Amino acid sequence: MSETQCHLLEVRALSKKRTQGRWWQRQFEVRALDSVDLTLDVGCTLALVGQSGAGKTTLAMCLVGLEHPDEGDILFDGKSVLESGEKKRMRTTQDIQLIFQDSAGALSPRMSAVQVVEEPLLIRGEGTRQERHERAIRAMQQVGISPAWKNRRPHELSGGQRQRLAIARALITAPRLLILDEALAGLDLSIQGQIVNLLMELQIEQHLSYLYITHNHELASRIANEVVILHEGRVVERFSPLTGVAEPLSGERAPGRSELGDLRLGAHSGA
Amino acid sequence: MRYGKRFALSLLCITVLHGIAPFAGFFAPYDYAEQNRNLPYAPPSKIHFRDTQGTFHWRPCICLPKERQGTFGVYDEDRGNCFPVHFLVRGTRYRVLGVFQSTIHLFGVSSPGKIFVLGSDGYGRDGLSRLLYGTCLSLFSGSLATALTLGLGVLLGTIAGYFGGWWDAIIMRLVELFLALPWLYLLLGIRAFLPLHIDPSQAFLLLIAVIGVVGWARPARIIRGIALSERERGYVLAARMFGASDAYVMRRHIAPSTYGVLLTQAALLAPQYIAAEVTLSFLGLGVTEPVPTWGNMLSVLQQYDVLVSYWWMWAPAGALILVGTMYWRLASAQQTAEVTAH
Amino acid sequence: MKYMAHRVLQSFFLLVGVSILSFLFVELSPGDYFDEMRLTPQISRETVSRLRTQHGLDQSLPVRYALWLGSVARGEFGFSFAYNTPVSHLLWPRARNTLILTMTATLLAWLIALPLGVLSADESSKWVDYVISLSTGALSAIPDLLFALGLLLLAVSTRLLPVGGMTSLGSDDLDMWERTRNLSLHLIGPAVALALASLPTLVRHTRAAMLEALNAPYIRAARAHGIPRRRLLLRHALPVALNPLISLFGLSVGSLLSASLLTEVIFSWPGLGPLLLEAILGRDIYVVIGAVIFASVLLVFGSLLCDVLLVVADPRIRAGRAA
Repeated sequence: MSETQCHLLEVRALSKKRTQGRWWQRQFEVRALDSVDLTLDVGCTLALVGQSGAGKTTLAMCLVGLEHPDEGDILFDGKSVLESGEKKRMRTTQDIQLIFQDSAGALSPRMSAVQVVEEPLLIRGEGTRQERHERAIRAMQQVGISPAWKNRRPHELSGGQRQRLAIARALITAPRLLILDEALAGLDLSIQGQIVNLLMELQIEQHLSYLYITHNHELASRIANEVVILHEGRVVERFSPLTGVAEPLSGERAPGRSELGDLRLGAHSGA
Repeated sequence: MRYGKRFALSLLCITVLHGIAPFAGFFAPYDYAEQNRNLPYAPPSKIHFRDTQGTFHWRPCICLPKERQGTFGVYDEDRGNCFPVHFLVRGTRYRVLGVFQSTIHLFGVSSPGKIFVLGSDGYGRDGLSRLLYGTCLSLFSGSLATALTLGLGVLLGTIAGYFGGWWDAIIMRLVELFLALPWLYLLLGIRAFLPLHIDPSQAFLLLIAVIGVVGWARPARIIRGIALSERERGYVLAARMFGASDAYVMRRHIAPSTYGVLLTQAALLAPQYIAAEVTLSFLGLGVTEPVPTWGNMLSVLQQYDVLVSYWWMWAPAGALILVGTMYWRLASAQQTAEVTAH
Repeated sequence: MKYMAHRVLQSFFLLVGVSILSFLFVELSPGDYFDEMRLTPQISRETVSRLRTQHGLDQSLPVRYALWLGSVARGEFGFSFAYNTPVSHLLWPRARNTLILTMTATLLAWLIALPLGVLSADESSKWVDYVISLSTGALSAIPDLLFALGLLLLAVSTRLLPVGGMTSLGSDDLDMWERTRNLSLHLIGPAVALALASLPTLVRHTRAAMLEALNAPYIRAARAHGIPRRRLLLRHALPVALNPLISLFGLSVGSLLSASLLTEVIFSWPGLGPLLLEAILGRDIYVVIGAVIFASVLLVFGSLLCDVLLVVADPRIRAGRAA
């Protein structure tokens, strides 16, 4: 990767401490993040690997603005995301979206599928009711959910469909970076494959970048340009999987995957 | 949560009662302040379908009570002085909810006849009329005070749970403070420092305010717990990620989770608050004469002779138990609904 | 132990808060005791304002609070205008009487509720459960006021029990045994009324706690071992069910005191209740504040006692603390 090229996302020396214990007890300090450095380019996929509690989710939260780091900086498109005023933060949050692991928890059980997807538009006050509805239907179709299911509640959908819905919701604001926090955990292997394929297609169509958080090394190596391993809040290893996609994750769409593999290999300019 | 038929039925009963109560003037034959000094503590009028000759009539009639010679307060029926009961008669003017006026009453007798379905009190005022007007007041004071308490509880509980930090600390300390006082002592304490002699309409509003404010602590704590757990949900985080304001999140995601609890609390609190109003009025600190509520109607029972001799003065107690039972059925129907939902 | 110290400290601060809260309400008060006096033409204005100054009623709120705190430190809790004596002299005997009444009522209620609840949870007879649940449900619809009035009616009409007050006239001349008997007779009416008012909740919770205890795995194991039902109920399930019941007791002290207030007024039992009422009607503010605080102290003590009982009764809590 050329150094002069501006990275889409750059994380510099990000640190965050957590203290446990009440005010009259002895306090335990836990370093959730310890001087973490990351870079991610447009159209690339970075995998963040580590055990539970290694700090991956904390990093994701800081990136979308749900938590604040103690030290360090986050640069998006060359501009710092932190310490921005209210308006700047909103624009950036539009560009970075997060998909949670627990698909059932991420979707309100009281809302129908189409309402879930159009909620970001509602919050931002974009468009009329009709327009929002149509955009939501289109987004659902994009991720492979039939419009006939628009009135279903999340608990009436399968895990895979819920994650598709979450992806549709995240994509409706046209973000540039999508963070997937263990988004495939808990799904069947074949469903995982389908979702990965969907994500790869979308990456090409919409020039998305992915930050993929997982504890599954193998999956990470298969789909990422770069893998960063986090342990107890610090980066302990970084590598680019030299090999492309060896075998497809599922039987379907095998030709498509190898095309993607070539594309990604092309994006690399060296180890 | 799926609510069954029992719940719907109980809710219907209570709603209907609330709907009919303001029309007390229509159902009551007399005004609540209308006195008949010559007929104190008259027993309930017997309804006769047969006249003195023994012939049957469809239209019932009642006879005036006459004080027995040589006694005080013991009445016999004066069969010579009977009046037929008419329906949909014109009588004294009354107001519904203070807005609509009418003179039509459900039933009545032409003067000088007096129909005392539930007897009369010490001033000769009709028991039934006073009971009906009192029902409206006592019922609504309970419901309105419940609404006030729950409103306060939701507001403070949501703020404490959602925002956390200092808000939470302060509000929770306040909750503990209010819960450290027995509720009636707190109620009386607050009442003590407000004007003793206030006219009845002000008293009504004051009563609702005081009762409503006293009980906010327990619901607030429950709502806080809900807000605390809802705040961490994935969809709430997602909404915040999309730039949702706190107001939006509280309105769209947190508030709906509280509805179930609010309903349960309402069913539990309303009868307690009616009892609170009754207690205060009973002690002379609530709604004052001549406006009747169940409380001040019952306070006369503290005199032993009334307590023992005039059973019809217990009518408000019957009404209280009836309404209490209705609310109890509602609460237990809710409990069964909750149990089956899990 | 640390936990108990924490709780005691918390309770103390709570009571301080209660006193401040009560004092704050004084600020809202539009008049005071001496306003009634002013209406009497025989007492001159100067006398009234002199009395006012004497009692410090013309001072500002913080000063009055400080003066009152000093009075508390001396053990007086302020001054009663109506009785012309320090408030605490009025409060202690009244608080004692309220305590006697509430403790008797609680004992009575638990004596009845525990067996009923246990019987109700016993699966061998669904019919018994139905009857008990129905009757307690019916009782729960009746407010405390009506229990007191009803029992008063019973007492007055049957003349079985002496009515009103705590002692009959001339009881001071009787010996100890007779005096106790007399007191007990006066106590029955209000105590039964209070007990009946607390009964439904207690029975319902005992039943629920027993049912939950009976559903535990170790109970099923014990049943498989062939342990007889009665022993199972009493020796195995009941002790476990006591834990939530003790917590319930702690939570219900407040409503017990409130119900007691009403009952005392109706039966003329000389507890804190009638005193508070009288003080309110007479605008004797320091008595009002004192009575409210004493009631609050009783409540706080009750819940502290409950915490202690929990630690004693539940070995798991003891083990948790030690670790």
